[in-house]
Amino acid sequence: MIAEAAVHKQRREAGHAADAWDMWLMTSVLALLGLGAVMVYSASVSAAERATGNGAYYLMRHAAHIVLGLLAMSLVMRSRLQHWERAGPYFLLTGIALLVMVLLPGIGVHINGSTRWIRLGTINLQPSELVKVFVVVYVAGYLVRKQAVLPNFVPGILMIGLVIGVIGLLLLRQPDLGTMVVICLTILGMLFLGGVRLGHFLVIVAAGVAGTAMLTLASPYRFERVTGFLNPWADPFNSGFQLVQALIAFGRGEWFGVGLGASVQKLFYLPAAHTDFILAVLAEELGLVGVLLVIALFAVLILRSFLIARRAEQAGHVFAARLAQGIGLLFAVQTLINMGVNMGMLPTKGLTLPFMSYGGSSMLASCIAVGLLLMVEREVRLHSWARH
Amino acid sequence: MSNRAQTKTSSFRHWTVLLLVVSGLGLLVVRAVYLQVLSSEYLQAQGNARHLRVAEYNAVRGMILDRNGVPLAISTPVDSVWAHPPTLMQAGGRWGQLTALLDLDRRDLSDMLARHAAREFMYLKRHVTPEIAKRVMALQVPGVALQREYRRYYPAGAVAGHIIGFTNIDDQGQEGLELAYDERLRAIPGKKRVLKDRLGNIVESVESLSLPIPGKDLVVSLDRRIQYLAYRELKRAVAAHKARAAWAIVLDVRTGEVLAMVNEPGFNPNNRADLRSALFRNRAVTDVIEPGSTLKPFTIAAALESGKYTPDSLIDTAPGVIRIGRKTIKDVRNHGRLSVAGVIKKSSNVGATKIALGISKNRLWNLLRGVGFGETTGSGLPGESVGIINPPERWAAIDRATLSFGYGISITPLQLARAYTAIANDGVLVPVSLLHGDGGVQGERVMAKATALQVRRMLEMSVSGGGTGTAAQVNHYSVAGKTGTVHKLINGSYAQDNYVSLFAGVAPASRPRLVMVVAVDDPKRGGYFGGQIAAPIFSKVMAGAMRLLNISPDAPQPQQPTIVKASERRAT
Repeated sequence: MIAEAAVHKQRREAGHAADAWDMWLMTSVLALLGLGAVMVYSASVSAAERATGNGAYYLMRHAAHIVLGLLAMSLVMRSRLQHWERAGPYFLLTGIALLVMVLLPGIGVHINGSTRWIRLGTINLQPSELVKVFVVVYVAGYLVRKQAVLPNFVPGILMIGLVIGVIGLLLLRQPDLGTMVVICLTILGMLFLGGVRLGHFLVIVAAGVAGTAMLTLASPYRFERVTGFLNPWADPFNSGFQLVQALIAFGRGEWFGVGLGASVQKLFYLPAAHTDFILAVLAEELGLVGVLLVIALFAVLILRSFLIARRAEQAGHVFAARLAQGIGLLFAVQTLINMGVNMGMLPTKGLTLPFMSYGGSSMLASCIAVGLLLMVEREVRLHSWARH
Repeated sequence: MSNRAQTKTSSFRHWTVLLLVVSGLGLLVVRAVYLQVLSSEYLQAQGNARHLRVAEYNAVRGMILDRNGVPLAISTPVDSVWAHPPTLMQAGGRWGQLTALLDLDRRDLSDMLARHAAREFMYLKRHVTPEIAKRVMALQVPGVALQREYRRYYPAGAVAGHIIGFTNIDDQGQEGLELAYDERLRAIPGKKRVLKDRLGNIVESVESLSLPIPGKDLVVSLDRRIQYLAYRELKRAVAAHKARAAWAIVLDVRTGEVLAMVNEPGFNPNNRADLRSALFRNRAVTDVIEPGSTLKPFTIAAALESGKYTPDSLIDTAPGVIRIGRKTIKDVRNHGRLSVAGVIKKSSNVGATKIALGISKNRLWNLLRGVGFGETTGSGLPGESVGIINPPERWAAIDRATLSFGYGISITPLQLARAYTAIANDGVLVPVSLLHGDGGVQGERVMAKATALQVRRMLEMSVSGGGTGTAAQVNHYSVAGKTGTVHKLINGSYAQDNYVSLFAGVAPASRPRLVMVVAVDDPKRGGYFGGQIAAPIFSKVMAGAMRLLNISPDAPQPQQPTIVKASERRAT
């Protein structure tokens, strides 16, 4: 009786359109894209007007990024999962190649003290954004291929550790500590979910914590960011400046915000208002209600990823499950860090808010990632339906 | 079995990760509530400290208008370029265009910015032309903005430079009427609380703290046309006689209003580069002179008031010299026996001395004090002198003698002009006013009507044929007046070859409307007697003023003094 009902439900879900896409993912992503576009315009209009004379400058580019991202997403979600599983190592090599290229003089573009971009015509490509997705695809495949040896430390863990080490070093050369942290935490989570022994896992965690601490202490600017984060009001005009401005934006928002377009903090007080600190502007203009809406949309996206992973596992599709877990972790880590930074809970990192912040590479990577999720969900759904 | 375990994520691990993610999101929610609801007040206060500023809005200073409504000082809106020092300091790359446009030195700018580093406001250039202002804004240099201010413009320029005075760049009165009536003219800037972006631009006006109050217009007593006339004649005279300086004052007899007050050399208040303190002293009120013979009418008035003398009393001035103690007082030549009127007409020092010695000290003192010597005229002009007149207890015979013909007393030209209004006004002294009033002036009687009439009649004769002041005659109008030629007091002794040439007079004599005092300091060419130098200026200015004021002629033939009965005169 109960089993029959479940089958019925599954059939109804899958059957009402075999070619339909997961509405939870679609809705939350489109809502985030729409809200993001509105906020990018609002946050950048003054700066754009001042820099280019055209208030919609960033909005137009952002719209182009969205179109590009949705195009990539629709291609990815229609692709076959097995191709991705096989292509994992190539993605890894492509990612490493891009990270090496960005460091080559004459190719990498140097902005504000870091070399993170490759110039492609009018747009700058930020390889580290794509590398995040590539690494997730690679690690998901790795966990499937190495299932047998995973419980052994040397063949199972050391290999992935080497991969992380190479990518980490390349990212630190830029330097891009934020992305490195996101990749490391995501891989850690994937290893944990992928069945690595708890003892091994703890060794890796300890190594990661020690490494991060060393990197922080070794670099004055990172150290300053950390101390600035711990007490932003101690030096609100230098090290704590950005954070203090972000906190003020939140405080000004109250329950319902000062109204769309009415942010004061975006008027040159808050640096990177339309990129890393888009949430602060949203908090000021749309208030707590707006912030809770954004958190809820991301919660839907992330929890849905893990639900899809769970379903994939139940359907016996291990790679699909690892991929969905990886992507869920990637979104979770990136959004938690970005929002945490915006609210002064974490030291400042140059990390974007997926789907919302201005930035083409980030947009492309996020759209590809959600495309993969949509694909996984559809394949798993059709597969399990077919099995019944 | 172990392989099987690895293909599936354990429920424990799945839920652990989910729990971590959900608690992370939960923490964000808690933090958001904390920031946006619980600490919003503190954070907003911090924000307000950064965004909210009190901005002042300048209002326009009142105009100064002449009695006919012609503007003498007006304010025009201009822009001043200012900077937010910390912001501009960071935009070092843009300084070049800015310094070129504003004609600043790069190093000066750097120094200024360093000095104002902790401030939020610094002027770069005050009062720039609209063209420059537009180009500065077009540069869009970070931290640079405009402020509306008002620049004072004086349409009459040098013509009324001294009397109007000028304001400083901050629109505060510095000299002349601009200073004297600053309180009335001054605009009170309004204050608003405004929201500023980080570059200092005003984004929004939050609340109005006080409204700007524009200054009130000031209608002054001057008549720009008479002022110009006096200015032109003084300028000519100073040039022609190579004089050091000259003054002229024209008063309305009935109201005491100053119709013209001119100093030469003048200065143009529109040209700030010209402003040197030596130039803009309004000598007509700040400097004292010895009035010389122009004081004699008051000696005579005191004598007539005493009853001991009548206009026809005879005084023997032969041989034109008189010794008082160890000093000798001389006339220009021996006039022999003169009537009291003749003493005025011929300006006999010996006659005046004998008359003064014939009346009591106190009578002379009271009359001189009565017509306002030794006290302020009430003009309110900055730096006005009260002059010096020693009290009678300290007068020796020689002091009485010299006082009778205007030495040993220091007065301002304005005081002299005011004293003559008593003669012109049938014995009633009116206060001097620089504001255009409604004419309801309360005068003070300082001599009998008959005395005033008699003195005026004598002064008429002194301008007629045979008198010292014939050059002061005005066609078709009768004139009453007195010349003066004063040895200048230089380093405590009287200089032999340096004079002040004076003329003080009233026109028309039969129905006085205007009093005018002219003084020319140290003429070097074309004579030095008051009758030669000052009287012609009086004549020319008065001739013009009579026509300008539509005063009907009272002397159809050139200067045939007519005797008019006292009863026919209009009382003041």
